[in-house]
Amino acid sequence: MTKNENPPLLEIRNLKVNFHTYRGEVKALNGVYLKIYPREVLALVGESGCGKSVTALTIIGLLPDNAYVLSGEIIYKGRDLLKLSKEEMRLLRASELATVFQDPMTYLNPVLKISTQLEEVFMLHEDSLKEAVVTEKVEGKDVGYAEFLAMKGNPKALLFENHRVSRGEVKRMARKLCVDVLRLVKLPDPERILQQYPFELSGGMRQRVMIAMALARRPSLFIADEITTALDVTIQAQILHLMRELSEKINMSTLMITHDLSVAAEVADRIAVMYGGNVVEVAPTIEIFKNPLHPYTTLLMEAIPNILKPVDTLKSIPGTVPEMINPPPGCRFHPRCPYSMDKCKKEKPELVETSSGHEVACHLYGV
Amino acid sequence: MQGQVGEVRKGELEARLADIKYMLHIFRKNALVMVGTAIALFFIVIALLANIIVDPKLAYPEGYPNNMYPFERKYMWNANHLIQWGTQVALYHGPEFFPLGTDGWGRDLFKMIILAIPVDLYNAAIITVTAAVFGTLLGAIAGYVGGKIDELIMRVTDVFFAFPSLVLALVFAAMFGRTLETLRLAIMLVWWPTYARLMRGQVLSEKEKLYVEALRALGVGHIRILLRHIIPNAIYPILVQATMDLGGVVLTFSALMFLGFSPSPALPELGNLAADGYAHVFDAPWVIIFPGLTMLVMSLAFNLVGDGLRDVLDPRLRR
Amino acid sequence: MKLYEYVIRRLITLIFVLFVVSFIVFYLARGFPSAISPWAPYIHPKMTTEQIEQVIKEHGFDKPLTEQYFYWIRDILRGDWGLTGTWANGRPANEVFFRHFPYTVELAIFGTIITIAIGIPLGIVSAIKNNRLPDHICRVIALAGYSTPSYWFGFILQLIFFFYFSLWGLPHLPSSGASDLEVTKITGIPILDGLLTGNLAFVQDEFLHLILPSFSLAFISLGFLARIVRASMLEVLRQDYIIMARSKGLKDRVVIYRHALKNALIPAVTLIGLFFASLLGGAMITEYVFSWPGVGQQALRAVMQGDSNFLLIYSFVFAIVVVSVNLVVDIIYAFLDPRIRYQ
Repeated sequence: MTKNENPPLLEIRNLKVNFHTYRGEVKALNGVYLKIYPREVLALVGESGCGKSVTALTIIGLLPDNAYVLSGEIIYKGRDLLKLSKEEMRLLRASELATVFQDPMTYLNPVLKISTQLEEVFMLHEDSLKEAVVTEKVEGKDVGYAEFLAMKGNPKALLFENHRVSRGEVKRMARKLCVDVLRLVKLPDPERILQQYPFELSGGMRQRVMIAMALARRPSLFIADEITTALDVTIQAQILHLMRELSEKINMSTLMITHDLSVAAEVADRIAVMYGGNVVEVAPTIEIFKNPLHPYTTLLMEAIPNILKPVDTLKSIPGTVPEMINPPPGCRFHPRCPYSMDKCKKEKPELVETSSGHEVACHLYGV
Repeated sequence: MQGQVGEVRKGELEARLADIKYMLHIFRKNALVMVGTAIALFFIVIALLANIIVDPKLAYPEGYPNNMYPFERKYMWNANHLIQWGTQVALYHGPEFFPLGTDGWGRDLFKMIILAIPVDLYNAAIITVTAAVFGTLLGAIAGYVGGKIDELIMRVTDVFFAFPSLVLALVFAAMFGRTLETLRLAIMLVWWPTYARLMRGQVLSEKEKLYVEALRALGVGHIRILLRHIIPNAIYPILVQATMDLGGVVLTFSALMFLGFSPSPALPELGNLAADGYAHVFDAPWVIIFPGLTMLVMSLAFNLVGDGLRDVLDPRLRR
Repeated sequence: MKLYEYVIRRLITLIFVLFVVSFIVFYLARGFPSAISPWAPYIHPKMTTEQIEQVIKEHGFDKPLTEQYFYWIRDILRGDWGLTGTWANGRPANEVFFRHFPYTVELAIFGTIITIAIGIPLGIVSAIKNNRLPDHICRVIALAGYSTPSYWFGFILQLIFFFYFSLWGLPHLPSSGASDLEVTKITGIPILDGLLTGNLAFVQDEFLHLILPSFSLAFISLGFLARIVRASMLEVLRQDYIIMARSKGLKDRVVIYRHALKNALIPAVTLIGLFFASLLGGAMITEYVFSWPGVGQQALRAVMQGDSNFLLIYSFVFAIVVVSVNLVVDIIYAFLDPRIRYQ
């Protein structure tokens, strides 16, 4: 557990994001604080509408036109992403931040072949591809995705000087890497898949293709937005297994967004719980299950049916998700909280660390 | 039973009112569309007042049709006018001022245009409304009933689409004589299939929606469902199409007049006025330019409104 | 397999449509009293009464209308489309038709090319800069084109580019007609023949003659195309796979041209097909205004004279054209959208 001693890869501070709608301003993110450390899997858990996807979109800079950031910072490798230009963000998306979305059917272009959609990601790194071709020639060994991955950040500029690389060779290298990365995500017969269109593949296969597209960028941060939600349970298990393997093999951090606690429990090192546009609790996985501090987290845990102790009525949290145009003042959970006090109606609780690695935002804990 | 259906209708009514309020809000925001609406309203007002502002008898020169060219003012342009067309134009040095020159009969073109506006608008409105109502009903029936009737109606629209529209209208008019009624009928025949196709598509998708199933389960009859629920919900694209068609029909109508199908050569109608200038396009260009320009602006206004309506009624924008 | 069925079904529709169309035109043309008696084109003043009777019997003009229809069908199948009236010197209707058809084809091709070349970019720009100034400008241009009276715009073009240009001493475009120069016939389409025979003088002259009428045609319809492309593009840009493409870090230009465009153009293709088909029917008014020797101009005169024979062949060819073009459009559709192909 030495992860906490390294500086975080990504740190979000006091992020507030609103949306213009004709009914009014939707206050989607209300001051989000989040830290992701290198080489970890952080699960961001919460109900629909609590702001998980908005957070992801803000990180990669692809908020829709009617959204705007009121305040906050997103520090990634020393730079505030919110202050970068569109072009700079685009470059980051091409090589550092990879996102996989929920529904692989709608997120893959129906009229383009898989090969086109996958190759174009590799072709964004022409220099690296050229380097790979040269390396193959000079050192005489085969460059596959693993080697390509290792080459990131270790440019061997010297090699370039004496070798000219043709476009055809670059394309061939890209194609080879496509096949390789498809194998990495456990897709059988990659050559055939490359020639197919998205609608010819099954849901699980499409999701793997999307993951492959993310890996092609050799990202440092991999954001998975509800990637298993659209899949049935057995495929879900396979994908999660794959994600765990990948996070061990590849030096990257994963932000796993999900509404399903069991998914989080499968893959995450740490879990962050979101409610109503705020992060309300963060802790390592086992810790949060054993010792949930925030009332919302506690109720969530209680709501999970236990297969060993079947009950007649499932326990649920009373009330509904807050309406974001006129959210409740103070702590947004107070209307549904069994422990709410006067203070909760007026002041929004800050996210503080109670014990090593465990943070919570609740007035119960002396804030 | 009645109460439940009444509830459904009340809910629909409320939802529709809220919708309309939102749509007006968006409509107002679009400057271009507001300009279009303003111009369209302007033309409608002129159409209504035209016969009061300008004496309609001016359209038919003294002694018409026997003494066709009584004035010595044919194809004249005022000598002291701001616009100078060139030396090939005949200039008028007399006391009267013709803001837009005179036409082949010596009539004041400006006044003729004013008289022509109601003729065009009125006919366009009649044609569009009739074609729309007829086409919509047929399309709704085709879509709702389906089966053989649908096939039949679709084949009929196929046939009409296979005709070059102008030819059909022309043939019809040539056969049945050059009256306004035949011309209107001819254009209606050409225009209705679009509405039928449009409505059919709409009804087909509305039919699949859950509320229809609910209404059927409550025992509401087919005709009632069609007339009171489906059609009002599916009507929006039809409204858009009709508004834009006002602009389109007026063009077709005047085009046919231009080709020579007017009941009387002196009828003040924008296409007819332009036809007069056909042979004199170089030495009396105003005879074609100004009626055509008026037609353009009028049609543009309606198209702007229709286009704006389409943007507003786009269901995906209603979030 | 599916394609086969499709084509067959289309052909059946075509035959059905042809029958109905022909019957309607036939009935309208022959069934009503008109200035020319139907057998007038078949006779000339020198014929004796018996010879006239002969002609009438031959073509069934003395029989009731519905029987006449079958005589007429028989005539057609023999290649006899009847003769035209005096307005076309009494030549056989199909000869007149096919002599003028290539000119209409020329105009249709050029008109469509200009429409596509201006309309599609206009629509794309409109969609990308949605609701900002370029969009508004494009919208006005598009709608203005759509609202322009066809008879008016042609004249304005002639006025400016022919009359006033020559008045001001500028190089000007010819105002009417097609080229007067000679060209050897290969395909029958003049400008194509010019290219094939290397007759560049002719090609240039014909091209100059084509510019104004084609542009006049195109101006009116490019607006409509632009609006459709805009709407389609906006729809596509809202799609999830566009967000995905952006999240991959692709350049904006790549996202639009590689990912969005192919999807957005699919509805536009139908429109272009319809437009091309209707142009092949002869843009009557434009041909009239520019004295372009195409089929539309002839049809106009035929209608004025009540000449049913010409109108019949005209309607026939048009119906065939519409169904064929629809078929081609469907094939292109399948080519663009792989989902349809593999169904």
